[in-house]
Amino acid sequence: MRILYVNNDGSGFADYVSVTDGTTVEQFFTIKMEGRESSDYLIRVNRQPVPKDYVLQEGDRVTITPTKIEGAVLLR
Amino acid sequence: MQKQKNIIRLSNLLSDSLSELKKARLQQIQTMMDDFNTQCSQAAKDSHLFRTATEKGWLIGADDIRSRIERNLDDFSYHLQRFKEFINADETAMPNFSDIFAELSQAEQEFEELNFNLSEKTISVITEPITLEGISLGPFEVKLFIGQICKLYTDSPFRVIALDPNPAATNEEVTHPHVSNERLCEGEGHVAIRKAIEQGRLCDFFTMAVNILQTYNSDSPYISLDDWGGIGCYDCGCTVDKESTCYCYSCENDFCESCTSYCHSCDETICLGCGTECPNCDEFVCHNCLVECSECGIRLCRCCAEDDDLCSECKDIAEDSEQQTKIDNEKENKNEKRDKCSKKRKANAKV
Repeated sequence: MRILYVNNDGSGFADYVSVTDGTTVEQFFTIKMEGRESSDYLIRVNRQPVPKDYVLQEGDRVTITPTKIEGAVLLR
Repeated sequence: MQKQKNIIRLSNLLSDSLSELKKARLQQIQTMMDDFNTQCSQAAKDSHLFRTATEKGWLIGADDIRSRIERNLDDFSYHLQRFKEFINADETAMPNFSDIFAELSQAEQEFEELNFNLSEKTISVITEPITLEGISLGPFEVKLFIGQICKLYTDSPFRVIALDPNPAATNEEVTHPHVSNERLCEGEGHVAIRKAIEQGRLCDFFTMAVNILQTYNSDSPYISLDDWGGIGCYDCGCTVDKESTCYCYSCENDFCESCTSYCHSCDETICLGCGTECPNCDEFVCHNCLVECSECGIRLCRCCAEDDDLCSECKDIAEDSEQQTKIDNEKENKNEKRDKCSKKRKANAKV
């Protein structure tokens, strides 16, 4: 099934991705953000916070936004 | 109900502004395409000239054209590469009205204070009071100017306004380690923020801007939090504790210890710019304690200036010349006396 994945980490992008049926939000995060702590991110499904065992559905919109983003003087 | 109406109006405004942005992007593509077209026409022209020159046996001319083609080919491949990158990057789907409406509704849920100003065409959120490393910086307002979204590729369409500012001691425009002149330096969030605005994901935009404000990057701040308080040295700009600052009585500014000295003549504290070394004794003195020699004009400290405001050299010269005058006068007196005596002697002899 396909879901809309909005990643606000790094260069940021929004695109449709395929996931296997029965994938939970936690599993999706582990796959997409390997090595990262989920506590450092704000995860929303269809604009709402969901429990980590929420099973993704066809057409869901998953947004992952880092809670710690380092500003800088000249990083352009 | 009124709020819903406002969100609908703002969604319309945002939709228009994002269309403008898209139009600007397409115009850029058009400009690049025109440029590409010109390069192609030039290549066709060169091809025709090259054929004529070769057929007619104008070998020098043909060689010139060949050199020009070689140069143009380098430019051509560069422009082609840039054009390809630009076209490929333009995959941004325009958000529709319902997407924008959903974004604004979500932002209203996520942030306690989401403000709209229809006349100003702005949307803003107000953060909680922010404290970084024990320094309270107060709450900030992140204000997005909808009318400026179309200039996204050349200018930042949002401002970060300190509502209860506690700016850095050395620069009051810096209200946060990553905010100067109300502009947020997004650092590693730069691209993601631009993308979020471009795609009309306003809730993501506000979330990221607020998260940057709540994070301190000690490697690249406008002003480090270690130097936030205290007083900035008027000379070198370094930050010093209030207790460690030195006040220059002459220019009436605060300085750090390295930029301060004292006047060896009047013992007052002065900055390095308000004093100079006496050319005679090499001691540091303030400008007020310098005296100009009335003879040669050299400026020296009061201690080195002799009576009559003369430097030691001029004083010596003056004394020497005085001594000489005395000797000359004595000599003259003696000669006068001798003359008188000889005149008397001659007169007596005649008698």
